[in-house]
Amino acid sequence: MKTSKYLKLMIGLLLLSLSAAVSASDAEVIVNADSQVLHLSPAQLRRIFTMRQRQWPNGTLIKVFVLPNQNPLHQHFCKSQLNMFPYQLERLWNKLVYSGLSERPVEVYDQQQMLQVIAQTPGAIGYIGKGMDIQDFGVLLITISEDDSNE
Amino acid sequence: MNKHNNIGLLLSCWLGLSAVASDCWAEEDIVWHGFLSQGLMQASKSNFVNDDGDISYRLTEAGINLSYQINPSLRLASQVVYLNGGNRYPEGLRLDYLFLDWSVYTSDNWELRLNLGRFKNYHWLYSSTRDIPHTRPSIVLPQSLYYDAFRDFAKGNDGLAALAQGDSRWGNWELNWSYGTTPIEKALTRTLLGEFATGELEQVFDHQASFYFQPKDSYSQFGIAMVSSDFRYKSGNADFFVDGDAGTRRWIASYKYSAEHWDLSMEAVQEQLTYDNILFPGYYLNTYSQGIYLQGRWFASDALTLLGRIDMADMNKDDRSGAWLEQYSEGRIPRYFGYSDSLTLGMTYLLSENFALQAEVHRVKGTGRLSPAVVPNTAINRSEYWNLWAVQLMYWF
Repeated sequence: MKTSKYLKLMIGLLLLSLSAAVSASDAEVIVNADSQVLHLSPAQLRRIFTMRQRQWPNGTLIKVFVLPNQNPLHQHFCKSQLNMFPYQLERLWNKLVYSGLSERPVEVYDQQQMLQVIAQTPGAIGYIGKGMDIQDFGVLLITISEDDSNE
Repeated sequence: MNKHNNIGLLLSCWLGLSAVASDCWAEEDIVWHGFLSQGLMQASKSNFVNDDGDISYRLTEAGINLSYQINPSLRLASQVVYLNGGNRYPEGLRLDYLFLDWSVYTSDNWELRLNLGRFKNYHWLYSSTRDIPHTRPSIVLPQSLYYDAFRDFAKGNDGLAALAQGDSRWGNWELNWSYGTTPIEKALTRTLLGEFATGELEQVFDHQASFYFQPKDSYSQFGIAMVSSDFRYKSGNADFFVDGDAGTRRWIASYKYSAEHWDLSMEAVQEQLTYDNILFPGYYLNTYSQGIYLQGRWFASDALTLLGRIDMADMNKDDRSGAWLEQYSEGRIPRYFGYSDSLTLGMTYLLSENFALQAEVHRVKGTGRLSPAVVPNTAINRSEYWNLWAVQLMYWF
């Protein structure tokens, strides 16, 4: 009885860690459909999330949305796509906010809310886990690569 | 106009501006942030915090800022702060910044912005947010570069700043330039010169530039900065000092490495300081001081950060023992006023997303970084070695 309980607990923990690993394994960048951007270079993506590029090529203001610092997808996104650690981003955003140079990104609770706000906000950019259904939302998936075939 | 009237006027103007702005612009274009912190500190055997060496609650920092996005390329940003740091700098309310931020040019890989008005010092690693408790590594920053007596005119300027940053095939870069002045109040004049100064100190100009570079796919960042600034002193009634000029030329090199669970920061400074008259007619001094700090942080957990730092400053690089100072003053100023070396151990504990506790201890050798800066207080600071501890609770939104 006791063994079975431990076994269930271990299987549960394994599944939990796997689900976290799956959700954090791949992040996809999404934008509001009106922005008409289909491609960004890694450097541009980093500039946008470090709040240093503030306008899309069509002149629209970029609105950045992120998940909470402790969210595994956020941590994975920072490390794999921005080549930064979450604490570096947090410190940089604080520096910008309290010296007046820029605003910090807007934080959303989860990926579902991320999809909704990106769809509703002109100029918005954010990220979701790979495989999320975006068909009913007004968002576009964009590719991140060194390739310069923009839009 | 007395100090309280000035504070009232400042607050009224700022709140009036906020009210006008909230009427003129859509709510989503206005963003507010703020911070509030209170701490305790004690510096035994020195006047770093107060004159008696007792535990002091004069460690209060609070502020509120707002920004309006007028259109995609134009913003207005402002912050008001209240600071009380004991003897370190004058206590009071300050208009920290108020500037128009104009995005002049934006492309896929670089951007140029102009700031017009009162802006922060963007040139050193911690200069733009040195008063914002949760953004800095420790309560007291390394005094070799962030000397608190110089805080009010090192924090920023009234003038023009140009900020460019971008990406290249070798990495990302940042180039900052600024030119302006800082108004100096009577209290700051006394913090710098001493209580017997009754005249007016004026900053003639402050010219700064900096360049930062982070190689591609690297966690290292390299930086270089320069400061050139001139001051003019006009003596007052029954003044201990006389009319004169002073100038400073600073060169700063910095390095930062950010790993996943630790980071390393270093800034080294050389400063040329000249005095012409001021102390007495015919007085002339031209010295080169040097300083360096090396700081390491370990992010022990999501909540806990531990800090260790060594910081060294020599007021005259050609005589690091301070013997020249003792000779020059005919024994009135002890040699340990010629340097300031310290070891700091600290911790920051994140209590919640917007609440943190910071605590630290410093062991200091030398009194070269105490105020007043020009005519040191030798009556209180009689010990070469002294200790400082501080603890601060901070909240931000």
